[in-house]
Amino acid sequence: MTLSNEHAMEIEPGLRRMLLIEIVFPMILLILGIYHGLLQVLYRAGIIHSSQFLGLEYFQGLTLHGVVNAIVFTTFFAVAFGYAVVRHYLARPLNMTVAWLSFALMMIGTLLSAAAILSGKATVLYTFYPPLRAHPAFYFGLVLVVVGSWLAFFNWLPPYFAWKREHPGEKIPLAVVGIFAAFIVWLIATAPVAVEILFLLIPWSMGWVGTVNVPLARMLFWFFGHPLVYFWLLPTYVMYYTMLPKLCGGKLFSDFAGRLTFLWLVLYSAPVGIHHQFTEPGITDTWKFVHAFFTMLVAVPSFLTAFTMAASMEQGARQSGGRGLLGWWKKLPYLDKDRWLFSYLFAGLFIFIFGGVTGIINASYNMNNVVHNTAWLPAHFHQTVAGPVFLSYIGMSLFLAASLTGKQIKFPAWNVWVPYIWTLGIMIFSTGLFIGGAAGEPRRTNLGVSYSDPHSSLYHPEWHFGDIMGCVGGIIMTIAGLMFFVVFFATLCGQTARKGALDLIVSEPYHDERVPAVQSFTPWLAAAALLLVIAYAPPLTETIRSQFPGARGYSPHSPLPVNVEPNH
Amino acid sequence: MTVTQLERRVFAIAILFVLLLFGFAALAVNQFHVGLPTCLTSVKPFQKGELITHAPNHYEVHYVARMWRFEPEEVTVPAGSIVDVYVSTPDVTHGLILLGTNLNLMAVPGVVNYARIKFDQPHVYQVLCHEYCGLGHDRMAATLRVVDAATYHSPKPSPPPLATIDAGYRLLEEKECLSCHSLHADADLAPSFKGIYGKTQTLGDGSVIAIDDAYLRESIVHPSAKLVKGYDDVMPVPTATDEEVEQMIQYLKTTK
Repeated sequence: MTLSNEHAMEIEPGLRRMLLIEIVFPMILLILGIYHGLLQVLYRAGIIHSSQFLGLEYFQGLTLHGVVNAIVFTTFFAVAFGYAVVRHYLARPLNMTVAWLSFALMMIGTLLSAAAILSGKATVLYTFYPPLRAHPAFYFGLVLVVVGSWLAFFNWLPPYFAWKREHPGEKIPLAVVGIFAAFIVWLIATAPVAVEILFLLIPWSMGWVGTVNVPLARMLFWFFGHPLVYFWLLPTYVMYYTMLPKLCGGKLFSDFAGRLTFLWLVLYSAPVGIHHQFTEPGITDTWKFVHAFFTMLVAVPSFLTAFTMAASMEQGARQSGGRGLLGWWKKLPYLDKDRWLFSYLFAGLFIFIFGGVTGIINASYNMNNVVHNTAWLPAHFHQTVAGPVFLSYIGMSLFLAASLTGKQIKFPAWNVWVPYIWTLGIMIFSTGLFIGGAAGEPRRTNLGVSYSDPHSSLYHPEWHFGDIMGCVGGIIMTIAGLMFFVVFFATLCGQTARKGALDLIVSEPYHDERVPAVQSFTPWLAAAALLLVIAYAPPLTETIRSQFPGARGYSPHSPLPVNVEPNH
Repeated sequence: MTVTQLERRVFAIAILFVLLLFGFAALAVNQFHVGLPTCLTSVKPFQKGELITHAPNHYEVHYVARMWRFEPEEVTVPAGSIVDVYVSTPDVTHGLILLGTNLNLMAVPGVVNYARIKFDQPHVYQVLCHEYCGLGHDRMAATLRVVDAATYHSPKPSPPPLATIDAGYRLLEEKECLSCHSLHADADLAPSFKGIYGKTQTLGDGSVIAIDDAYLRESIVHPSAKLVKGYDDVMPVPTATDEEVEQMIQYLKTTK
């Protein structure tokens, strides 16, 4: 069996061109993002003992690493993948004017924010951290990226409703449900952060108002910050449910499990954001407890997915002659060069076991006191966003780019090993950071100038082992990343082997139940709205009513507030 | 068709499992009083860091987390005491972690955070800022000493005053000079003030000059004019009258 051409579909040249640019552009930025990831582990292991390296400061690099990898790369990919899924499954042409407008907004936004960060005027990390103040271009840029991605989603609605009209009573294709769930979560998530940026940060960054309400800004940010991770994860889940079974030579164990998982995430991904604020003042602990409870429930579909994926892989492996209780594990296409996408999805699934378990630890209310803001946290989220999400995104980027251009994958042996080398790297990296974090080592800190420097009075020798592990893992991840870039760009530069087409891998369901509860978004959206009100109306009201005094703006370089010009 | 029984079981087990885990957290709150910080509106943000003694075994520490140090930088309490820790910030968001304990608090502008901790054994704890707060974040640390109760309560010679509290000192504090320039040992954010007057300084261009009134005046009014070797041009220009500058210089002559 080969990967390509089974479901290949010829598409409009305009859409093809746009998808390719949307996939290649963030891939180029990703080189910068990964470079700054490597620098992070070098600083933290005490190999670089300076506050800057090659003209960029530590925190400037960390800002780039976060914004490029977590916001720009993910959003561009989700939009491109969404277009591919919508075009493929709904089989309708899309409005290209809106599509290009959406792309232009995202592109301009990215360049504005990148310019602000690179010029050193937005060293505020991707979490913004008011009252540290960035140049307005940074905030405006991010608004444009978000608005551009909204436009893309709105562009998918007319074909969706047209499809439903023409297929009354039919199930909406599972992949479309997943992508729509991702963008519904994105809409829910980006609304509060838009309020934060437009009404709190931009007026203050422009100097129109003197102060910013920090507790309110932080609550709005984390209202966005957690559903954001499900926006990243849902496209990955779409690949798991609709592609992984087929790659194993089998069928999706349960179509229902996929639908329930996607809709469950619409319901529970947002009313959980305060679990990022467990150790903060200004929020009554009752609301923290409520959010901790909902956070536990958001873990449920991960268990369901783990079961369904294992069942689907087993079914596929038994089709290929796998025998025995565990013997079927030997029949999976781990290093099959034709079915190479399996390695990207499978490796991510493996990493996610650890990311999921540590996520439950972080979410466990008072347990968070042990790990909050320590290196434990980046260890956890690298096993989610830099595990299943990253590997599936780069794998699918390569798959789409190769099929859209009709190119043959170059260096296929390297390609199939990339995810496993990455997995080795991230397991070593995260284990090192888990060890350091459990011992209280802070995250977002340039340890190289203090806690990792034997000449400093603040030197912490007991953290050093974990930092060295983190560094070794980070270097291995960088090597895997470089190997991937070689495969990706060599493939794009290679000879065209066939006509470019839009191709997706499509798995058949094994159990194809029709459960009415998961056939429509409407009841789930209503329930999600209700949960949001329950979870966020009281703490937001409390924060607004408390009238906490505002904070003036600060540059990261000075303990004195930035001079706020009087109103002109 | 209906959902397979296998899936129903998996789903039920997953829900029961997460509820069980949540139950453990709830139990820890209910039985062992391991809680999280809550909303405190009765305490207004404060600017003064201090240790307040309520009883021989009950203390209150007011930590001011500012760019880029904690006040007080050093706190000593006897073993066996209960300490109420309050933290406030006059500038940006900071964090406060007491290494080796579960005391983990965010310092958010505009609102005071609070947690209680009991120290059973003598130990020297380090307090770190664990939230990004700007250039000096990586070195923002303080010390909390828990000493044997007998040692703590025995009479001891009062430590020599760090500096005479005169007008010049107050100005250096007010203008935030002391955030980066230390009066004690060498700090790496900015050149130390310890014994600064009359000593020689190597500048970025390699030249060596003697520190006199004119140099100090210039360095306060035009910080960029002469940069000490190894330091970047990051010092903001303080707003100070000529008279205030003079008072600061007079004080710097006394920092032996």
